[in-house]
Amino acid sequence: MRLASLTVRNFRNLASLDLELPPDGVVIIGDNGHGKTNLLEAVYYLVLFRSLRGAMDRELVRFGEAGFFIAGDASPRVTVGYEIHGRRKKVTANGKEIKRLSDAVGLVVAVVLSPADRSIVDGGPAGRRRYLDVLLSLSDATHLAALTDWKAAMKQRNAALKRGNASEAQAFDRPVAVAAAKVAARRHRWAVEWQSRFTELCTSMGERTAPGMVYSSRHWTPDGAAEGIQENLRLRIERDLRRGTTTVGPHRDDLLLTLGERDIRRFGSAGQQRTAAIALRLLEAQALSTSHDTAPIALFDDVFAELDQDRQERLLLLIKESLPGQAIITAPRDAEVPAALFERPRWRMVGGAIAR
Amino acid sequence: MSAIDELCSELAKLPGIGRKTATRLTYFLLKQPPDEVVRLAAAIRSVSERIRPCSVCGNLGETDPCLICEDPRRDKELLCVVEEASDIGAIERTGEYRGLYHVLGGHLSPLDGIGPEDLRIEGLRARVANGCEVREVILATNPSMEGEVTATYVRGVLENAGVQVTRIALGLPVGGDLEYADGVTIAQALAARREMPR
Repeated sequence: MRLASLTVRNFRNLASLDLELPPDGVVIIGDNGHGKTNLLEAVYYLVLFRSLRGAMDRELVRFGEAGFFIAGDASPRVTVGYEIHGRRKKVTANGKEIKRLSDAVGLVVAVVLSPADRSIVDGGPAGRRRYLDVLLSLSDATHLAALTDWKAAMKQRNAALKRGNASEAQAFDRPVAVAAAKVAARRHRWAVEWQSRFTELCTSMGERTAPGMVYSSRHWTPDGAAEGIQENLRLRIERDLRRGTTTVGPHRDDLLLTLGERDIRRFGSAGQQRTAAIALRLLEAQALSTSHDTAPIALFDDVFAELDQDRQERLLLLIKESLPGQAIITAPRDAEVPAALFERPRWRMVGGAIAR
Repeated sequence: MSAIDELCSELAKLPGIGRKTATRLTYFLLKQPPDEVVRLAAAIRSVSERIRPCSVCGNLGETDPCLICEDPRRDKELLCVVEEASDIGAIERTGEYRGLYHVLGGHLSPLDGIGPEDLRIEGLRARVANGCEVREVILATNPSMEGEVTATYVRGVLENAGVQVTRIALGLPVGGDLEYADGVTIAQALAARREMPR
């Protein structure tokens, strides 16, 4: 997939940008704080229609402005506009308005690699669940539908728990369990399907201890379907009432990453965690290439600086294989971009504007 | 506030009508012959004065009990449970149903603060208490998540009432096209398939 052009208005510090992007991509050089990451975030906004860094939409609007607008031509041409007043978001694809946001998710596919990815590996389980849900939502519309159903049923059940009404809460056990089982099953199936590829990727980046990846669920078993979760919901109703929230379900699950059977999160070195994080992103790229039949747009946010020469070279080889399409690469200085990526045009970013 | 503004803001309170439509309707009414407008006003007034919920089933009508509850030709062994009184109209138009109704007045929605005590569930329990004529209760709440949950809840309440409880069938719309049906509906229709009669 290639982004031919990008238009940005009043998004973070980017006042007004109209860019024609080369088919192979570009290298964007600029000091920190001038808007390189904001530009990548604007591109990625066309993928999920929400902030890459978890910010609220109104926080993305340039200071003092009423809203922002982003358009990208990636065949389809996708546009999104947001107004603070009325919190309205409008998405179009090839000129036609798309009423349900979930129908627009996945029209544009991209993968971001950034130093912040390490938090997927060394942070809490929520980041790993989010990683799975984002890539599964992009590759399979039924996963997003199951997530939406599950969240709607959970909201109702939790509201009943807060009201302190057990039978009312339990009336929602079935819809919660049915949707929760779909979410867990899909995540589990993905981990089974891609675990050997994860091992291969880590190994080709120089990891010597056997890496592993497995989906771990407390209340769901691969053969148990919805009944197991429903039974657990029933057994823990007292605890749920005390806490005023549902404690059973895939919001308690984790994607366990291991090195020789030991948890990378606790026992891995910083270098090993970084390798695992990059492997997850490359895995995401390959999974999305499979589901979309085209390589996602690659967004590299200053990822090469912290790697030594040897790891840089290994990573570049893997990138050629996993992300052969268009790449937008940012770095603070020319010297921090590997020579192999130099063939692309180089742009400079100053104060939210591009100078060529 | 001018009379025009007053009517606009009253109309704008109606569901599905925004400020713009309210203004359009107001100016439309101003262009009508005065007796037409007076007839509309009288119709609105008489609805609000004469229509009452039925104390037995919750249907809306001019009499209490309502005409359906009072009709001796209706099958008193069948009771159809719906969310809103307007659902009765939809079922009546089919002409296929000859039993009685029970209006819950909504569905369970803890998020909106609507629990079982806010629905006419106690009234339903009393109607099908042992010794009554009802033999079958048909749950015809909406096929939404909240509608399903409400049906499940009512099913539980009627557990020991000694009546048969059935759920209205869910599946493909008649005259529809399988190709254009959504996945959830097709899956539901497959799960609820039945043997083809000869």
